[in-house]
Amino acid sequence: MEFPKITNNCCVEVDFRQKNCGRQRTGGDVFLSRKLKEQQRVISVLSDGLGSGIKAGVLATLTSVMGLNYMSSFRDPAKAARSIMDTLPVCSERHISYSTFSLVDVDFENEVKIVEYDNPPVLVARGSEIIRLERSQVQVTRADREPVAISVADFQARPGDRIIMLSDGVSQSGIGSQSLPFGWGIEKTGNFIREQIEKKADISACELAAAVVDKAWVNNGGHALDDITCGVIYFRQPRQLLIMTGPPYDQKKDRLLADLVGNFPGRKIICGGTTANIVARETGREVHVMLGKIDPDLPPDSVMDGVDLITEGILTVGRVARYLEDRRNPETLNLNPATKIVRMLLNSDIINFVVGTRVNEFHQDPNMPVELEIRRNVIKKIAALLENQYLKETSIQYI
Amino acid sequence: MSKKFKITICSGTACYVLGGAQLMMLEDLMPAEFRDQVEIVGSACLQACRQGGSGQPPFVKINDYLMESASIAKIVDYLRKH
Repeated sequence: MEFPKITNNCCVEVDFRQKNCGRQRTGGDVFLSRKLKEQQRVISVLSDGLGSGIKAGVLATLTSVMGLNYMSSFRDPAKAARSIMDTLPVCSERHISYSTFSLVDVDFENEVKIVEYDNPPVLVARGSEIIRLERSQVQVTRADREPVAISVADFQARPGDRIIMLSDGVSQSGIGSQSLPFGWGIEKTGNFIREQIEKKADISACELAAAVVDKAWVNNGGHALDDITCGVIYFRQPRQLLIMTGPPYDQKKDRLLADLVGNFPGRKIICGGTTANIVARETGREVHVMLGKIDPDLPPDSVMDGVDLITEGILTVGRVARYLEDRRNPETLNLNPATKIVRMLLNSDIINFVVGTRVNEFHQDPNMPVELEIRRNVIKKIAALLENQYLKETSIQYI
Repeated sequence: MSKKFKITICSGTACYVLGGAQLMMLEDLMPAEFRDQVEIVGSACLQACRQGGSGQPPFVKINDYLMESASIAKIVDYLRKH
């Protein structure tokens, strides 16, 4: 059995973190990302709508979706910006239509195009150094005849580069406080990012975004005075993950499972007691169930040499699918086997599923809870979520 | 010194949803008189549900005896008798 070859030795990881202004349930900042698989492009937009709450959310959503669509089809930033500004509804109080945005487009050769309008400047970190970008200004006329400048920049990204997109909730955090009377500012934010990367050279996109958002929150004394959003695009060596679940249909293939675990160049998870037992038997290792720390809803995980995580099968992967669907932040969830899997998924770029198709007849008993879905369907759902929502590469092989 | 009873709790899917979840608390609910005599471990799956005729999950193994439809009360009862 072979896994798809890695065509690109540098992959793009995109993630973001966000805190809503005050007690608003709706964010006034919107971060969207889309992967155009055929063109091998990744487009990300961070848009900040005027004000906060629903109205800002609508403005920002319109802006970011339009931005994404325009960039996907035309790649002409000035045209995209003009259309966005002509389309936004006008605020009844302030009589302006307004939503700032930053757009980052990465193509298959890691050529990056950045378009910005009134957001804090996008930062580019090469290793731990923040590098200066050459920006040029493009004049655009807004619907109210007001000429505005849009800044455009290009550069060639290298492995290890990070692009950091911020909303002004980050750069203006702490404003008026004793330690930061003028707010955190883009320079200090950049210094903070440098320190984070120095501390942990391979810090993932979601970890870095979370660190920035948390720091901005702390700058405000534990409040969000404005919507706080940070998106990170990270160019790096792809990290691979193998998830094995279910025993092979043909028992003769049991040995193959063990070989896969032995030879896989990346992290490994086994979901399923029987599957774990097969690997243990074939490799002469032992599985130890961790009875100490129990989550009330999920069976405990186990440990075995050579495997990073072993969990129960269908209940746990079902929960993983739910967490991914709800876009739950695994760092804020109770640590249980499913959140451990979600963390490992989000910290990987290429995820290979090996799904055994032998069925445990006991699961077909009508007395069993209905959550016990068919393994293949759940895995397909997880893979689709990872591809579309989290921009991961996945493969599924049945055995 | 090895303990008198080794109790293995199955944490496979079928056992877990049919009552095995409660068994995970066996260690806390074990009567004091038996605390020193039992060793409790988990199993990723005892495979008992795959062999026909073993009975209903959840399964627990006490030394070599395979108990079907196990409950904490049933386990403690068994320990009392042996």
